[in-house]
Parts: sequence; C-alpha cells; structure tokens
Amino acid sequence: MMQHDMPPQDSDLAKRVIGCITSKRLTPRPRWVFTFKNYFFWILGALAITLGAFAFSAMLFQITFVDWSLSSVTHASFFAFFLAAAPFLWVSALALFIIVGQVNIRRTSHGYRYPIIAMTLGSMFLSVAFGGGFYMAGLGGDLDEAIGDHPPLYRSIVAQERSWWLAPEKGLLTGHVVEVASGTSSFVLRDLSGQSWEIDGNNLSDQVLSAVTSGEEVRIVGLPAPTSVSTMTSASVRVPTAATTTITTFHACFVLSRERDREKVSSPESYDESCENIRPYRHLRDLGKKNKKDEEEKKDAENSEDDEDDGEEDEEGGEDDGNDD
Amino acid sequence: MPFEILDASDEEVVCRALLDKEAFAVLISRYEAKLLRYLERLGVGVREDREDVLQNVFVKAYKNLNGFDVTLSFSSWVYRIAHNEAMSFFRARRARPQVILTEASAILLTELKDDGADTSLVAEARISREELARAFKKLPQVYQDVLTLRFFEDRSYTEMSDILEMPVGTISTLLHRAKRALRAALPATFLS
Repeated sequence: MMQHDMPPQDSDLAKRVIGCITSKRLTPRPRWVFTFKNYFFWILGALAITLGAFAFSAMLFQITFVDWSLSSVTHASFFAFFLAAAPFLWVSALALFIIVGQVNIRRTSHGYRYPIIAMTLGSMFLSVAFGGGFYMAGLGGDLDEAIGDHPPLYRSIVAQERSWWLAPEKGLLTGHVVEVASGTSSFVLRDLSGQSWEIDGNNLSDQVLSAVTSGEEVRIVGLPAPTSVSTMTSASVRVPTAATTTITTFHACFVLSRERDREKVSSPESYDESCENIRPYRHLRDLGKKNKKDEEEKKDAENSEDDEDDGEEDEEGGEDDGNDD
Repeated sequence: MPFEILDASDEEVVCRALLDKEAFAVLISRYEAKLLRYLERLGVGVREDREDVLQNVFVKAYKNLNGFDVTLSFSSWVYRIAHNEAMSFFRARRARPQVILTEASAILLTELKDDGADTSLVAEARISREELARAFKKLPQVYQDVLTLRFFEDRSYTEMSDILEMPVGTISTLLHRAKRALRAALPATFLS
C-alpha cells in the first residue's frame, strides 16, 4: 500500500481541474485509440523494414547481375563503370527505410527504451536477412524490372547493361542467335533493337563456334565491317520474321555467353591483327588465356586422377600375383 | 472522498478515475506539490504560470488516462506529461527557463566534487546558490533536465528513461556529460 500525504479534502487545483473536465465535458480517449496508435507505428516500422528488404534484394541483384570483370570492355575506366553499375538508388533506399523503420519503432509505447544503434542494427539485420531471402526467390530482379519500366525515374540494370552492349560503333553487340549456319564460321544474330547482323566468326575457335547455339543470348566484342551491308532472303539465312532482311556484317573477336560461361571467350591463339585495334583487347585476351589455362589444368587434373586409379589397380594386381607365388 | 480510495495505489486510483472523474482528484492531490516543485526546477518561474501549466498537465493526463501504461509507474508517466508541457510552455512563450536552485543544490555540488567528497568540502567551496544557478543556466536544456531529475527529484535511471523517453544508456551518458559541463561552467575556486 502506498503512503501519501492525504489531504482530507480536494485541493483548489483539484477542484479547478475537475471543474474544467466537467464544464468541457471531457472524457478519457478510448483505449482503442492508443492501441491503434501503438500497432500503427509497429506496422509502419515493419513495413519500412520489409521495403528495406526489397531494396536490399534489388541491390544484391544489381551487384550480381553486372559483370564486374568486364568493366574495361564496356567503360573507359573502372570508376566510370562503378558510377554506372553501383546500386546507389537501392543503397539509398535501404538506408532510408532502415531510418524510417527505427523512427517508427521508436514511437511505439516502449520504443524509446531501445538504444538507437541497437534499433538501427536490428532493422538493418532484418532487412538484410529478409532481403537475402527475397533475392534467392528472384524478387530482386522482378523489383528492378518493375520499377525500371517507368523511366525516367529509374532504368533497370538489365536495360542499362544491355544498352552498354548495344553499341556496334564501339565494337559491342548483344542479341539472340537466330541462325547458326552449318559448315561455316558465321551465324546470324538479331540485336535487341531488332536489327539482324551476320556475325563473321573467322577469328573464333571451332570450340567457341560449336558452343554458339540458336536462340541463345550472347555478347560480342568485335568490329563492324564498314561496307558489308547486304540484303539476304530468308531462304538463304532462314531469318523467321521477315521475307527480306538487311543484314550488316560484324567481325567477332570475342563471344561471351549471357550465362557467363567463360569457355566461350575466344582462345588467344586465334586473334588476328584487326582484333588488336579494339579497346579491351588486352583484357579479353588475358581472360581467354586464363580460361584456357583453367581448362588445361582441369583436364590435367582429370588425367592424373585417371592415372592414379590405373596405378592403384596395377599395384593391387602385382600384390595379388606375389601372393599367388 | 471515500477513505478506501485515499489508501489505494496510484494504478488502482487510475482504474477508479476511468469510471468516476471525481476519483482523479486523489491523484491531483498526491502529485500537485511535487509537480509544482518540478515545474519550478524546470524553469517555470512565475507561480501563476506554474499553476496554469500544472492544470493543463492534469487535464491532459485525464484525457489520456486510457493510454497510461501499467508497466510504468503513474509517477513517471505524469512527470513525463509535466516535462513535455513545460517544454511546450517555453516554446510558446519563446522564453528561456529561469533556473531556480533550491536546498538540493548541496547534493549536486557534492556529486560534482570528486567521488567520496563530503558536504563539508562543499561548504568550503564557497559556491553560492546564485553561482550554481548561473552555471546551470549555461547548460543545454537536456543536461538541465537530467541533472534536475537525478539530483533534485531523486529519480532512478529507469524512471528518468521513462520520463524523458530515452534509453537508460543515453540517460547515463547525458548525466555524465552534464556533470562534466557543469563542473566546467562553475568558478575555478570550486574545484581548486
């Protein structure tokens, strides 16, 4: 039981306050108002964390979608590539939603008791954890694409990246393989703007050419042939959409698969002098060398494993012979 | 006023007041003097202003009675309303709080001395109440708030956290900084 100094009668202030309550017909606000307010801020906080998770999934998608190893192919410098490829929007959105989340949680009935750093880190952890899940579920790409459909506010990284590669004047081309002519070193590609190209693959190894399949989306580094525009009938190249198609020839030095299958990068022995004029030649040549080396090491490893297996079998056979003797 | 309600806890009286507004008078009587003193220490210098602010505090408390969180003490809750109302009063008047330090100044001065110092040292420090008030007035409002609650209202860290709506860790840090700032603002003779 609490001990208080109890006045036997109400004080003047008590009389005034009760008088004010009576005259203004004041009543306590209903309990649901406070309950609603509390839940409202929790819901806003949770919503902000969820939006932060979506931003994080889109950020992860952007980081993993762009091919950082090919920065020198599409951009003049790594810094220029970084400015174009880094997910500034999503990082900003994540930071904003984390702040909004913690501000709203702080406004719940007991929110002030939690340290700001703990709440910020907690919001960040939840956004990152759920965002990782959303990314694994493919929502990061969907979000990037959905928001990217509304330029000029935002352009999806998929569209941006394709625009970097759709620059034939710079020696970059991307599109779908429409037709692979058997017995020749060329194939037909339709770029993302709908134009068809005859890809001259004389510089490509048989291995790369055999890996190019119809319907596949590829990126090509090479040189547009200046006087190579020709009109071909659909019968000769079997382009499905038009009876007659204007086809421009493009000299391919390197072919890269969209699936990042580096085995399709041309092998370094096959480069001719014309390819040396393209800007990222050295980088791609190194990349090709590395791929070839990796491939050889892989083959060597497989061969040595086979030899060891054979050796063990021989030894076992020898021991058996000795025992028999 | 029935005698049984006079002996009831604050929380029980709150429940009664939700059904019968006359019961709210018990809470007013219990906290009137304490809150008037608190408002004075926060810097509401004129008595009439203090009474007006306090009336608003109780009217607001009554209107928000359903929002009283039973996990807090009623005391902390009503002190929070009083603090917020005093800050609104200063903002509306665009007035700086008047610092009026009372008999509890000695406790604060003892605290500001090195740990373990006794009040005789404070007496030797020859710090007048006016000098302390001048130094106190130089401090940011948040420092004045934590020092007032801790040394003049004798509030625990948890209660201060509930009144000022800050985490306990932040209260502790602010209190430490406030003491350091006040020490720095006091005349050099105090620490010599």
